[in-house]
Amino acid sequence: MTSTADAQVTSPRSKKHGSFLGRTAGSPLLRLIIRRVLLAVPLLLAVSLLVFILLEAMPGDPARNQAGMDATEDQVEAVRRSMGLDRPAPERYITWLFGFLRGDLGVSSVSGRPVAELLAERLPVTLELVGLAFVLSVVLALPVALLAARKPGGIVDRLIMVFSMTLLAIPNFVMALLLVLVFAVTLQMLPAIGYVPVQVSLVDNLRSVTLPVLALAIPMACFYARFLRGDLGEQLLGAGYIDTARAKGAGIWRILWLHAFRNSSFGLLTLVGLNIGALVGGTVIIEQIFAMPGMGMLMLQGVISLDLAIVQSCVFIFAAVAIFANLFVDIMYAVLDPRIRYGSH
Amino acid sequence: MGQNQSRLENAPILTVENLRVVFSKHGREVQAVNGLNYQLSSGRTLAIIGESGSGKSVGVRSLMGLLPPSAKVTGSVRLNGRELVGLSEKALMSVRGKEIAMIFQDPAASLNPTMNVGSQIMEAIRLHNPMKKREAEVKAIELLKLVRLPSPETRIRQYPHQLSGGMRQRIVIAIALASDPKVLIADEATTALDVTTQAQIMELLVDIQERLGTAVIMISHDIGLAANYAHDVMVMYAGKVVEHANTKSLFSNVQMPYTKALLGAVPQLTTIPHSRLTVIGGHPPDLSNLPTGCPFAPRCPRATNVCTAEEPPLERQNDQHSYACWHPVGGQPLEAAGTADVLKVDAQDGACSESSTSTQERAVFASSLDERAKR
Amino acid sequence: MAVTSAPLRPELGGASPAPTLPRTGVRWSKFRRRMITWLSGGTVVLLILLCFLGPYVLPLHPPVGGSVLNSALPPGSPGHPLGTDVNGNDVLSRLIHGGQASLTVGIAVNLIGLVVGGSVGAVSGYLGGKSDTAIMRVLDVLIAFPSLVLVIVLAQVLGPSLPNTIIALTAFSIPAVARIARSSTMKVMSMPYLQAAQLAGSPWWRILFRHIVPNIVPQLTNFLMLGMAIVIVTEGALSFLGLGIPAPNPSWGNMVYEAQQSMSATPQLVLWPALALLVTVLSFNLLGESIRDEVNTR
Ligand SMILES: Nc1ncnc2c1ncn2[C@@H]1O[C@H](COP(=O)(O)OP(=O)(O)O)[C@@H](O)[C@H]1O
Ligand code: SF4
Ligand SMILES: [Mg+2]
Repeated sequence: MTSTADAQVTSPRSKKHGSFLGRTAGSPLLRLIIRRVLLAVPLLLAVSLLVFILLEAMPGDPARNQAGMDATEDQVEAVRRSMGLDRPAPERYITWLFGFLRGDLGVSSVSGRPVAELLAERLPVTLELVGLAFVLSVVLALPVALLAARKPGGIVDRLIMVFSMTLLAIPNFVMALLLVLVFAVTLQMLPAIGYVPVQVSLVDNLRSVTLPVLALAIPMACFYARFLRGDLGEQLLGAGYIDTARAKGAGIWRILWLHAFRNSSFGLLTLVGLNIGALVGGTVIIEQIFAMPGMGMLMLQGVISLDLAIVQSCVFIFAAVAIFANLFVDIMYAVLDPRIRYGSH
Repeated sequence: MGQNQSRLENAPILTVENLRVVFSKHGREVQAVNGLNYQLSSGRTLAIIGESGSGKSVGVRSLMGLLPPSAKVTGSVRLNGRELVGLSEKALMSVRGKEIAMIFQDPAASLNPTMNVGSQIMEAIRLHNPMKKREAEVKAIELLKLVRLPSPETRIRQYPHQLSGGMRQRIVIAIALASDPKVLIADEATTALDVTTQAQIMELLVDIQERLGTAVIMISHDIGLAANYAHDVMVMYAGKVVEHANTKSLFSNVQMPYTKALLGAVPQLTTIPHSRLTVIGGHPPDLSNLPTGCPFAPRCPRATNVCTAEEPPLERQNDQHSYACWHPVGGQPLEAAGTADVLKVDAQDGACSESSTSTQERAVFASSLDERAKR
Repeated sequence: MAVTSAPLRPELGGASPAPTLPRTGVRWSKFRRRMITWLSGGTVVLLILLCFLGPYVLPLHPPVGGSVLNSALPPGSPGHPLGTDVNGNDVLSRLIHGGQASLTVGIAVNLIGLVVGGSVGAVSGYLGGKSDTAIMRVLDVLIAFPSLVLVIVLAQVLGPSLPNTIIALTAFSIPAVARIARSSTMKVMSMPYLQAAQLAGSPWWRILFRHIVPNIVPQLTNFLMLGMAIVIVTEGALSFLGLGIPAPNPSWGNMVYEAQQSMSATPQLVLWPALALLVTVLSFNLLGESIRDEVNTR
């Protein structure tokens, strides 16, 4: 949903290789990976702290929530003590942090079940949605961008650009409803809501996730396609190695795929990494619309019912996923780009 | 037309007739190339010189259809008797690299930064001569030996950024030679290199030409380079040929004031480093709105009314020398000439005015005529 | 709406669409670009006028408190050009009032983002060194969150209301604007004239307001257009989830939500707010691109 903004914030090309290399010995690749990982740790800590502070500010009294509306003051106090809420905030933060590291995420005040157990149920659903949407968005964007770049300014190019600009302007929750309207309500081809686990039936599982995955993937695919088309077109116009390839006698597809796309792939990778956050955030609303029992829905229910233990873990995991995705992209970038892999001469 | 003994013995491999290129992008018609005529035989080197923007690159790119779709090419280009103008993209693909190969100016940009150099050479080999990767690799190493790249077996796995500019250009040359082309075009192939490397690369090209009998078109705005390495020189201005001669004849007997001015723009060895270069005053004409008459007239100190009224034809002075000028410097006026001696100008007097480089084409020349005379 | 209309003025004043197609390509491509600027800019202006003045000048029904007797009238019903929703409220009126909410949120969030984020970014870029690193690390923490997740939690902390929605959404806009302002500032800082000004001993505030602020405005303006689109969409999502503009007050997001509840019976109710969102987002995106092209070619 924030794809446009994220791209705006960091132009992929601005990620210049080498600039963040330290001066220590060792392979430049290894140094880079270590540095990136070391930077991610304090960020994760800061994120967890911010989550904790936010939840402190949440309205309502979790102890009273837990104890029930008609509990007496004493009962509420007892619950408060049993939940550890009577202790000072810094202590509670430390406790939560170490608990989290041990895999003890606390207990949901609404369902009374351990948060870890709930997450174990919900996480696969969200990961399936995010994973499929991620793959689909890239897989859709590639051929479309290549097709458009084959003849810059041609009719195919223009149609693709107009079409993608329009689809990009449809928010994913609206896209979700439009898809339901067409494929579930009108054509009755796919289920409108509900999730079927893979264990039950692979076909039904795929049918149940098709629409949510499309709703997540289509706007992203348009965004990637537009970026890729622009980058490919720029190279076709002015890059020396494209001239060399043409002078060799290479055809347009070979040039686009083997030469131009190879160079665009780094920019695309950065963009995709930046958008993982938006993709993961998108599951909150998409899971709600399609009644998918994933983490997004768990978090939303937690937020609405002030189930602090759940919100704390879910929000932290969402942010951690985004941070790790970016970390992964940075490392992939370094692994794939020979200019970083081998350092400069 | 610079014809000589060897040319008569050796039938031309490339014949270009009335080649014109018009760009009609953005609604304006840019007449980049306006009627080129030349022939080239195997084993010969033709230098094309001129200020930048004079249509040198467009002129040679059009030979192999390497222009954007906005370019319209007319005229005739015959390679071994086969017409190339108007060929389909697919047919051109089998010409590129195989019949005509090209080396570009900037070796840093000419190689794909994401592929190792070996696969870039192997791609060129296998495009026209399908073979196994193994065999292609053997051939690639041979090519690297041909272009005298040290330790080719390890270089082949390296990436462009790990190589120096000179090494990169050797790779680019290896790519160009991959399918044993009949014509090799070097578009300012040494401009981006330092003087020493420049000489090495030029020597390499000469050596390869002698060994393989390739016909070479070298583009340069460095007259010194042309004088040293080319058999014939063609001077272009505003998309036209203004002087075309055997190298010796050209330098001993310059006719066209523009050529003369280009010669004057070569810095002498005595020139203080980083002092202002002598450059030709004024601008080249607007290619979307060419004046009638001689295109050089607005900048030419010898210009008269005839010059602005009527375009001088490319006249043959003798077998080895043609030029297009009503009042040639050599003092052999064409018929229409009226006031040949009115202005006796040479580079030092004013054809080349010393002026700031901000408004002019910056012609940077690396070596001097004096130096060349000694070699 | 100074932010959106200011950079447009030269553009709108400079080009009047020719009645016939221009002959040549330069003019044609330029004309097409101007057309897009005109169309998107015009749509934005029209939307703003419609949503902010419409409630006063148009004979609209109130957006809330309709009678269930009028429930789900089809489009074209007398007095209800776009029909009514399940609660019997006039769809057109709700669209216009909802648009007012969306645009208010969008403008306010971006203005706050511009002022706060712009200053933070400019100061951070200007100071450089340790303070810059510190400020950027703090922003990194905010940016690390998937924005919708952060905004949802904030909205819940603050409680659903129009002002709170605005505050929650600034958590997204401030760091984003700050990053852009910072990188633009650093670019300006390396310019010779700026170093000259520093050497000449101009005080920092003078350098900031005389040299840096005017130079980062084009970048920020382009981003603000995209920011409008993003904020409007995120507000829609928030209201859709019931955490933004509280029902029964209309917003495009909660209209989509209400329509979803009755989708099989009255599918057309989804289309109206969807269309409104599409047109608005598209216009702001196109306008942002036009401004960027205009800035780049200059
Ligand atoms: N793609 C193009 N579109 C329009 N004009 C072009 C294009 N490429 C080259 N030209 C024009 O053709 C002229 C000759 O260019 P070029 O052959 O590159 O000059 P040179 O190689 O002699 O420096 C230039 O004036 C340039 O403006
Ligand atoms: S024809 Fe006239 S203007 Fe042209 S070069 Fe000769 S003397 Fe100069
Ligand atoms: Mg050139």
